[in-house]
Amino acid sequence: MNDSTDSNAPQDLSDRYAELLQCAVLAKDPLASEAALAEAADLGRRLVAHEVPLEEVGELHHEALIRLASAHPDLPLSQIAGLITAPLMEAYMAYSLALREQLERRAEAIVNARLEQSRRLEAIGTLAAGIAHDFNNILGAILGFSELLSDELPPASAGQQHLEFIQQASFRARDLIARMLTFAREMADDPTEIELVALIRETLDLVRVSLPHDVQLDFEPLVSEAWVLAEPSQIQQIVMNLCINAGAAISSTPGRIQVGVRLHTPAGLAPLVRLTVEDDGEGMNQEVQERVFDPFFTTKEPGKGSGLGLSVVHGLVGKLRGSISVSSEPGSGTRFTIDLPRLQQEGKASEDAPPIRHTPPSQQETPE
Amino acid sequence: MSKILIVDDDEIFRTMMAEMVRREGYEIEAVSNGQEALEYIQRERPLLIITDILMPEMDGIEFIMKLNQDGNNIPIIAVSGGRRSISLEFNLESAALMGVQTTLPKPFTREALRAAIDQALEHSPPSSGLR
Repeated sequence: MNDSTDSNAPQDLSDRYAELLQCAVLAKDPLASEAALAEAADLGRRLVAHEVPLEEVGELHHEALIRLASAHPDLPLSQIAGLITAPLMEAYMAYSLALREQLERRAEAIVNARLEQSRRLEAIGTLAAGIAHDFNNILGAILGFSELLSDELPPASAGQQHLEFIQQASFRARDLIARMLTFAREMADDPTEIELVALIRETLDLVRVSLPHDVQLDFEPLVSEAWVLAEPSQIQQIVMNLCINAGAAISSTPGRIQVGVRLHTPAGLAPLVRLTVEDDGEGMNQEVQERVFDPFFTTKEPGKGSGLGLSVVHGLVGKLRGSISVSSEPGSGTRFTIDLPRLQQEGKASEDAPPIRHTPPSQQETPE
Repeated sequence: MSKILIVDDDEIFRTMMAEMVRREGYEIEAVSNGQEALEYIQRERPLLIITDILMPEMDGIEFIMKLNQDGNNIPIIAVSGGRRSISLEFNLESAALMGVQTTLPKPFTREALRAAIDQALEHSPPSSGLR
């Protein structure tokens, strides 16, 4: 037995599979073979829980087959061919389902952790602002009264000097508060110049694993670079939430999510980067569209979604001084369009004409 | 002589500000929120209003909004210890957006207050005739 099997697929799982395969193949009783298949499904889920990679599930089967063959060398293959495959398929299907659920949970955990972090930072900022407000009032009284008191003391007296010190100390405290506020703001909101195309591509790799297999996720940027001022985690959260939402809108049929990035400059306005996330799912009626960014509004079943995803996106886009719109019709998919202020990178200012244009005319950028 | 109306919920700060303004040679009236300020203005027209922003009952922004609705031409100085922040609280920027021309962050020196009063009174529209 090789090392990797030892470390990843525990021996007892490997033994159990070999046993149930024998059961499934040799069972005289249909109930017993049914039980073996149920156990195979359970085993598939356990393999995911033990983080056994998919390749090793095949090895497990292979190893069990060899054991079966050596234990029963006279079994004719033609007689057992169908029986051998059933437990593998059963284990494989349960494995895939459990794996997808695991990946979904992880993607959700990443999104939630980010959300939690941004909430915490916002709370720190709010707390800092509240403290600053009260401190400034207190300092205002200290500073003001010390100035007033100086009217009542003889000039060049020791008292005057003491008041002078009180005032100096007050100014130091004022500057300290200003620094604390700046720091809290920077912690909560630290935008940098970031390149969207690469960041989105990276984010979509993460999203892809949490989408159902029959949902295709395509990234079709019309530019090679698009610069905006944002925190990378803000963009990741926007993209993840929109894609998870799009994936949920594609309910039964195979579907497709298209993510696009292009440059856009409305006549007479500042240049924008336009991010689109489009699905060919259920679509929404007007009523749902109007409420889609409301906090806690959801069309998902209870427990399937918080209803916060799109309102978080809406909030983030607002923070980035961008705009978001939705266009949709029942039965013909949904498209979210986000416009963010574009940074003109040095030496890259003339990228208004994208190098590649293969979109239908209706989707092209408005003439500038 | 009409008075300078001081609106601030922080009693110690209000007392300090009132004394400072009085020593600049003005008569003052001090109240602790926007509602009381409106009631005073209905009885008497102040020369100038110095108002805090964050106050219970009626905050400075609502107070300024109500004054504007009535076609205010009394000069206003907005004072606040709040700063531009990521929180959604009103601050001096909000007051500036409401048309207040003179803003003064807390804490301030006597000199800064003097300058703000002079500036606000200079910008003041003619006090007689128009509404």
